[in-house]
Amino acid sequence: MSLTDLMTMAKTDKELRKRIFTKLWRAHPDECFQCMRCTSGCTSLKLLELKPHEIVLLVNSGFIQELVSSDIIWTCASCLKCRERCPQNASPYNTILELRNLAVEREAKIPEAYMKAIAQILETGLTQPEQTATTRDMQPQNREKLGLPKLPYANDKFKTVFMKILGG
Amino acid sequence: MKAAVYWGCKIPTEQYAYEMSTRQVLPRFNIELVDLENVSCCGTPVRSVNTSAALYLSVRNLAIAGQTGLDNLLIPCNECHFMLSEARNRLDNDSEMQTKIQELLNEEGLEYPSNIKIWHTIDLLHDFVNIDTIRGKVRKPLEGLKFAVHPGCQIIRPSEIGRVDHPENPRKLDRLVEALGAQSIDYSEKLDCCGAALLYSHLDAALSLAGTKLRSVQTYGADGFVNTCPYCHTMYDARQKEAAATVGSKLTLSVVYYTQLLGHAIGIDHDKLGLHLNQSFDPERFTRRST
Repeated sequence: MSLTDLMTMAKTDKELRKRIFTKLWRAHPDECFQCMRCTSGCTSLKLLELKPHEIVLLVNSGFIQELVSSDIIWTCASCLKCRERCPQNASPYNTILELRNLAVEREAKIPEAYMKAIAQILETGLTQPEQTATTRDMQPQNREKLGLPKLPYANDKFKTVFMKILGG
Repeated sequence: MKAAVYWGCKIPTEQYAYEMSTRQVLPRFNIELVDLENVSCCGTPVRSVNTSAALYLSVRNLAIAGQTGLDNLLIPCNECHFMLSEARNRLDNDSEMQTKIQELLNEEGLEYPSNIKIWHTIDLLHDFVNIDTIRGKVRKPLEGLKFAVHPGCQIIRPSEIGRVDHPENPRKLDRLVEALGAQSIDYSEKLDCCGAALLYSHLDAALSLAGTKLRSVQTYGADGFVNTCPYCHTMYDARQKEAAATVGSKLTLSVVYYTQLLGHAIGIDHDKLGLHLNQSFDPERFTRRST
């Protein structure tokens, strides 16, 4: 998907731009000078056409709503190369995370797996229940059979606090 | 050393082999692990939904580790290691955020610690235990075997928050493999990401990333592939066949956790190391030259 197509009818939104910037800490997308080091090493460039420098440019220009409704922000593999290599501390990685947060807040289409993980955290504290493992010769195994201790369990007080912060 | 251990979610609910082999191997080097109660997810999937909630989760786990009064905390998962290190860096340098999160922790009577040292499996073995000690314990040297190592992304980047190894030229895992008598090959795809984070949204792309890397490693003649992250391991081991189909190649690489390789070399039974759980592991190929 090309983001420039989305831009043809778009207007900039300074308020939303400000919101992204306020949430960021020690990341300065506004200092990006488009050297494209992030994009040249991006894990998701080849297969998913993610261009971090373009995301940063669009954020700086205020095209936030367009980014938030685009699938492109969900293609980041979080490999952190862009954050490591950026000479300006723009951190496309952190910028993309804040765009995702905004997408969730605005109820744009978000991958279901994230919500599933959160529902599970509210249940037990962990992102998934204990899975059955299978040996190479197809024998089912679990923690007990393998001699591992019981899983930790986050207490109910935790769930209340977590709910509270999730709700903002 | 007595160290608290934070396993995260992926290891204790699914990647049992990493937990088993770590529990087997570390005591042989006089490291006693103390399990934590009441811990939760580190915040990895949560950060995409709400970065503040993710930060709270990370700090809360640090606080629980701090309650043990121990000076050291082992985090064997690359993702968790990054999330907790990032949280530590934020809170130590952002007093406003520290106050905000502490208020939430107060509801559970927890307190943010600032001094517990965070270790990963790689630096704990390389920097604390050290290469010579490891070499000295080897009973079945892996001579003649060639491995490609995969340190993963999150424990080497971003260097500004203090990571386990060099961000562009990590060598510690290579040296750890070489300490067992094996050869660690140099290969240009070493820093390529496994793609696991894309499983949430783009399955084919994730499998393609994993398959492409393994295909290269295989052409370089590696006998096996060594990693230390439960997410990477899932991509390269359990999903190796799917990855192979995605990239249209036959892949037959034995993928192991470093702790399993180390355990094998110092003479621990394969079943105790969870090697029977590795879907891609071929014991014959793996041991033909080393036993």
